[in-house]
Amino acid sequence: MYYPSKLRSAVAALLFVAGIVAAFQAGYFGKEILVEIALYALLALSLDFLAGFGGMVSLGHAAFYGIGGYAYVIMTMEAGVPPLAAMALALVPCFAAGWLLGIVTSKVRGIFYIMATLAFGQMIYVFTFQNRMLGGSDGVAGVPRIDLTAIGIDMNDPSIFACAVVVATGLVYLVFSRILTSSFGRTLVGLHRNENRMRALGLSVRWYKAMASGLAGTAAGFAGTIAAQHTMFVSPGMMDWTTSGEVLIMVILGGLETLIGPVVGAAFVVLLKHEISEFTNHWHFFIGVFLIVAILAGGRGLYGSLEAGVARLTRRKSEREQEPGKTTAQKNPEAGNA
Amino acid sequence: MLEVVELSKAFGALRVTNNVSFRLEKGERRVVLGPNGAGKTTLFNLLTGELSPDSGRINIDGVTVNQMLPNERVRLGLGRSFQKNNLFDGLTVGESLRLALAIKRQKTFSLWRDGTRDAGIVERAEEIAGMVGLTSQIDVSCDALSYGARRQLEVGLALASEPKVLLMDEPTSGVGPDMTDAFTAMVGGLPRDLTILIIEHDLDVAFDIADSVTVLNFGKVVFDGTPEAARTSREVREIYLGDWAGDA
Repeated sequence: MYYPSKLRSAVAALLFVAGIVAAFQAGYFGKEILVEIALYALLALSLDFLAGFGGMVSLGHAAFYGIGGYAYVIMTMEAGVPPLAAMALALVPCFAAGWLLGIVTSKVRGIFYIMATLAFGQMIYVFTFQNRMLGGSDGVAGVPRIDLTAIGIDMNDPSIFACAVVVATGLVYLVFSRILTSSFGRTLVGLHRNENRMRALGLSVRWYKAMASGLAGTAAGFAGTIAAQHTMFVSPGMMDWTTSGEVLIMVILGGLETLIGPVVGAAFVVLLKHEISEFTNHWHFFIGVFLIVAILAGGRGLYGSLEAGVARLTRRKSEREQEPGKTTAQKNPEAGNA
Repeated sequence: MLEVVELSKAFGALRVTNNVSFRLEKGERRVVLGPNGAGKTTLFNLLTGELSPDSGRINIDGVTVNQMLPNERVRLGLGRSFQKNNLFDGLTVGESLRLALAIKRQKTFSLWRDGTRDAGIVERAEEIAGMVGLTSQIDVSCDALSYGARRQLEVGLALASEPKVLLMDEPTSGVGPDMTDAFTAMVGGLPRDLTILIIEHDLDVAFDIADSVTVLNFGKVVFDGTPEAARTSREVREIYLGDWAGDA
């Protein structure tokens, strides 16, 4: 079960403040990296919701990123919908596609679910790639940004834009944190732990899986609408399955089933990518090494290991405070995993 | 409360459930006995809806449930426990019970509120933990429980689906004699208006708990009556002890 422990909230707050500071202090290139981190963080935390908490390990998550981006482009550039409204409306097809994917795959599990989502992602990718009306492999350029000059905010200012993206990411994090502590979130974790038992207790499993898939798709699509505005460009490349794979790596490196871990993972991978590519083009190799180390070290990831370490320390401390011979080792610590 | 009428199920030419009939009144405790291969588990799966019968009827509280899915039967009041522990590893005893209650009470939809923390559910989860003897371990993670405690939680989860009819599949399988006694005492402590059907192979458990006994052999009902009558029945003895018992 998910609890927004003090440690999780502290790390989330720290990252948020760091993001805001970087939005105003970093150079132009730094701001670009910051937005990239925030976008990946959105993808990674929504994938953690689905894969870490819900047990549905998807390799098609980037498809929603693309659906969101393209839906925003079509609405603003073809249908003439004002950008702000388009951002909201673009979430509808993302939720619908996620929900449908969830319903269709509700009975498949494990490797078959991975394959089904991979196929779904590639289907959307190839469709976009070959569709001339959507710009084909060239994509679409000249995407407008939302216009907030009416309230004195200039989205074309890189600092303001980066700041807005960080704030949006923070809000989505809070929403998912809330959902995970709701009845639905509890049910989702139960489904992950023992789907058969949930069914035997009377739950209509597939509606819950569909909802989880729809919500994760919506968040990824939201990231897509921002990505389209960031580069003012969309292309099929954003929904390539390698993007889905990269996001999954961020989730695992940061810490599955922690919600904040994947954000840490996103920052780590993006920063590492930029640092290493100054020396060599083979940055994938180093990510691979880190991934192997993280998995061999117990699969908890960066944040997950921190959490486990803190939990161990507090347990030892509380044991020392107890009279000798008595332990409370079995108690589930608040900071404990899920 | 639970009525089984001429229920049959065959796998190929093998009639695993052969024209089985019995009925449980409200509050009745019936034990279905039988040696390995008698068709107990098949009967159980027919009742829960994992399998569908070839012919015959199953009525719960007057409603025919033959066509219903397992989860629909649960909502109608048919709770079950599993022969092999089927728990939520990683969740605590309390979390598991509250989740089960939330499902039964349809409090699982909200994306905002945590219905598993409603006062009614928290209280009831504590009550059920008490009924199955897990009060002191309510905050312990399921995977840290002893085998016996996991068996108790298995029954606790079935109770948390707030059934009218509770089905238990070999609830004492794999536990020692003292745990078996504790189990018998626990069932004795459950509310008297709860209808219970237990599938068992252990005769002693059956005789301690049951108001009535059904004995299956090769898919057929070979005995239906009180535990006292079962104890003295020559047929039951033969099935369980073999012919040599009569010769000795």
